[in-house]
Amino acid sequence: MPKISDSTSLDNIVCPFCSLHCDDISIDVNDNKLSVKNDLLPSCKEKFEKYNRKDFNDQPSKIKGKETDNKKTTDYCRTLINNSNETLILNASSDVNICREILSSASKINAIVDHINSSIFLKNISLYQRRGYMTTSLTEIKNKSDVIILFSNNMLKLYPRLIEMVIAPKNSFSVKPKNKKIFIIGDKKNNLDNCTIKDSRITFIDYKNKDIPLLLQSIINKENKTQLNNQVFNILLKNIDKSKYLTMLWSTSEFIEYKECDQIIHKISEYIVSLNETSRAACLSMSGNDGDASSIQTTAWISGYPTRVKFTGSYFEFDKDSHNSNQLIESNSIDLVIYINTISSKKLILNKKHKNIIIGQPATKYNTEPDVFIPCGIPGIDYKGHIFRTDNVVSLPLSEIKISKHRSAQEILREIIR
Amino acid sequence: MSTLHLKNGKVFDPINNIFNKKKDIYINQGKIVKSLDKKAQQIIDCQDKIIMPGAIDLHTHIGGGKVNIARIMLQEFHNNNDNDYDLTANFVPSTLKTGLQYIEMGYTSCFEPALLPINARQSHAEMADIPFIDKGGYAMLGNDDFLLDLISRGADQSEINDYVAFVIKASQCIGIKVVNPGGINAFKFNQRALNVDENSIRYKITPRKIVHKLARAVYELGIPHPLHVHCSNLGVPGNFKSTIDTIKAAEGLPIHITHIQFHSYGNNGDRNFSSASAEITEHLNKIPNLTCDVGQVLFGQTATMSGDSMKQHANHKHAHPDKWLCMDIECEAGCGVVPFKYTDQSFVNALQWAIGLETFLLAEDANKIFLTTDHPNGAPFTSYPHLIKLLMDKTFRDDLLDQMSTDISQHTILKDIKREYTLSEIATMTRSAPARILGLENKGSLSENADADITIYDSNINDIEKMFAHPCHVIKDGIEVVRNGEIKNYMWGKTQVVKPEYDLSIEKKLDKYFKKFHTIGLSNYIISDDEMSETIGSDININNCIRKRIS
Repeated sequence: MPKISDSTSLDNIVCPFCSLHCDDISIDVNDNKLSVKNDLLPSCKEKFEKYNRKDFNDQPSKIKGKETDNKKTTDYCRTLINNSNETLILNASSDVNICREILSSASKINAIVDHINSSIFLKNISLYQRRGYMTTSLTEIKNKSDVIILFSNNMLKLYPRLIEMVIAPKNSFSVKPKNKKIFIIGDKKNNLDNCTIKDSRITFIDYKNKDIPLLLQSIINKENKTQLNNQVFNILLKNIDKSKYLTMLWSTSEFIEYKECDQIIHKISEYIVSLNETSRAACLSMSGNDGDASSIQTTAWISGYPTRVKFTGSYFEFDKDSHNSNQLIESNSIDLVIYINTISSKKLILNKKHKNIIIGQPATKYNTEPDVFIPCGIPGIDYKGHIFRTDNVVSLPLSEIKISKHRSAQEILREIIR
Repeated sequence: MSTLHLKNGKVFDPINNIFNKKKDIYINQGKIVKSLDKKAQQIIDCQDKIIMPGAIDLHTHIGGGKVNIARIMLQEFHNNNDNDYDLTANFVPSTLKTGLQYIEMGYTSCFEPALLPINARQSHAEMADIPFIDKGGYAMLGNDDFLLDLISRGADQSEINDYVAFVIKASQCIGIKVVNPGGINAFKFNQRALNVDENSIRYKITPRKIVHKLARAVYELGIPHPLHVHCSNLGVPGNFKSTIDTIKAAEGLPIHITHIQFHSYGNNGDRNFSSASAEITEHLNKIPNLTCDVGQVLFGQTATMSGDSMKQHANHKHAHPDKWLCMDIECEAGCGVVPFKYTDQSFVNALQWAIGLETFLLAEDANKIFLTTDHPNGAPFTSYPHLIKLLMDKTFRDDLLDQMSTDISQHTILKDIKREYTLSEIATMTRSAPARILGLENKGSLSENADADITIYDSNINDIEKMFAHPCHVIKDGIEVVRNGEIKNYMWGKTQVVKPEYDLSIEKKLDKYFKKFHTIGLSNYIISDDEMSETIGSDININNCIRKRIS
């Protein structure tokens, strides 16, 4: 256990904040303050270093916005939980061990458990719940993919080191790195982050992702029915035709607002499946940055289902509709929501019609004051943990790199739910 | 921890050559002891009861990425009723249900046979959440680019040994498994088959060479469990020749062929599909260092899951229901999940059923063959009591053969085999033999100082299937956890591992390789003992390795 006054330099630290979970982070810790040594984007460094802020470290528990102590908070939470007829525990971002605790807590009070991004990741899961799916993982893409297509407007905002670490690496053992062909296909107007990369291997194609099914059908038919000019279309077609390990990536969260979302992802998957009859190809739907993969995996092995479960006395039961947190919150079918947000800085949107408890990392944002806010430590900064990467197959250890004044989410859950 | 006295039971303890002998067993501090100083805190009257060590399943897919994919893919089949011994019960149960179903059948140690080192953290975390049982994993090698590159460059055996030892230690495993040697890797380069003596396109090495190098490494490192081999050409008619070639590839070194039923197919007859169990068991019976588990097929819906993405992709057209997943994984291996329904209306499935039983019954030594269904690939593990009855009761299996929708009587010698397994042989193949072959010195035995993992059956139950499905008491680490089908205490077992010694210089080479080609660093690939207990949630138990050398 380190001491606050210790000065130390840590290497190979895993970043908990985006689902690439890069594990090459070097950090100096002086007087319990973090300083990232790597030459990273400022946005990546800031994700660690903002937790040096005194107001975050000293953040107190609050009841209805008023500062209070742990005991009063615990007592009040217990009262809310005891008075609740239907409680939802909503995982807004956490690692494996917190997911374990969420499910254990839910089993004590017969609560419903859902993840905040379940509407998105259930679409990805449907790819293999309904049909065939050929997928891959990051190291395979780095070394084996000769042609890579990213369907994305802002993937690089979501995964800042994706190009450097995976898509266009310096080293690759079965394809010469310089021979890799990378196409980033997206709406140029919304694609500023992607377009700033300077790499001769990368071609940007301005295209509306809503129309991906049309593009793929045109590729299948070898006849351009899209808005792309024929020259661009033919370059894409030629590279796909000669590819030995084509990879297509996307992030379903970018398509979720489109009514064509299901059609888009299923068309990509079907196309990849068809290519594998004679060649090799794979797709990868990138998981979200809110511990989505950890939640899916842990909930699946403990309950048998990926999310939207309720403990009913002996086992967890799954119901895609009646345990859908969005619907439960909107329809006010529950009377208490316990948000667990240990990693993400996204704003939580609370519904004041029912009681809300947030167990949240200190930078947690919310639209309106919850009934209770309890600050918790962050796995990977304040506590050890274990988190799944975007490809759902690699999981990495999270380290305790500074001393936290805040309790872990597990400890708080065990305290308030008995 | 309490003391226990198991009084007057009929003991089957093959390691000590005790079969059906009246004996008292004493337990103190989780261990079997010779006697107790004072009256035991708990006495179990074992009059008319059969006492055996806790059963050990050495090949069951209970933890890791592919298991979880199957859970999610096939969630409509989850059946959460409380009837845990039920052939229709879900075939990819949750971790909780896995533990409950195993312990209620008297199984106290189970081993995940296809643990990808890169996925080890997940596999161990998942298995850590399975209550009651001890567990362990076999690290999958033989399709990883690092090893294939070493072999293709003609690396010295000692360097291969160091790498194998590093991987088994880093991934906290107890054995090494190779799946379709080189074939999964070749599939990534679009090869659709790889025979035992065929070169892979990329590395220009054969499965024979991979098997030999790995078998030798396992032997020389002193890893007790021989190389666990899923042969080339799984499920392909005529594949028994590949199986025999793979056995020969070991050149007399210890080798364990897994789910051998799926690799014992001939291609004779008008359907080009026939049994080759006689040819396979002939080798099993005569080669001293060869062992196998069967991977028995039983009829019903299940999910097939395997690291063999090459063959799983080829089989996806048989998916039932029609959905499946294949994945290339981290330049290490792959996986494929294909749901499947075995039916006796299918000639092939019916003959698979018979081939498995023929293999069991033609194997002469119960120390060399192990009772598995390759859960859930051939059938869920909950069908073991049914399988035991098939082996112990000729009339029962002949009746089932007669009742089959498809007449396979001209294609199987099953009816000609008069053998019925004895209780002693069942005890051997499910207790002492797997303990011995895994190097679990304190398991599978009722010797003094052995772990007190014990199953007690009611010998008054005439139906052997019911007797094995519902032991009256199960004791794990000296604690009674099941009594008459009811859970009395929850507890969590340990992870069984080995830690062979190796030259640390291999880590420098690997560190460079990881920095250059992987997407994580070597230090985060390694799972420490502390991480196992603190974060993953399972303490480890280290089993011995004794280094050997081939002159």
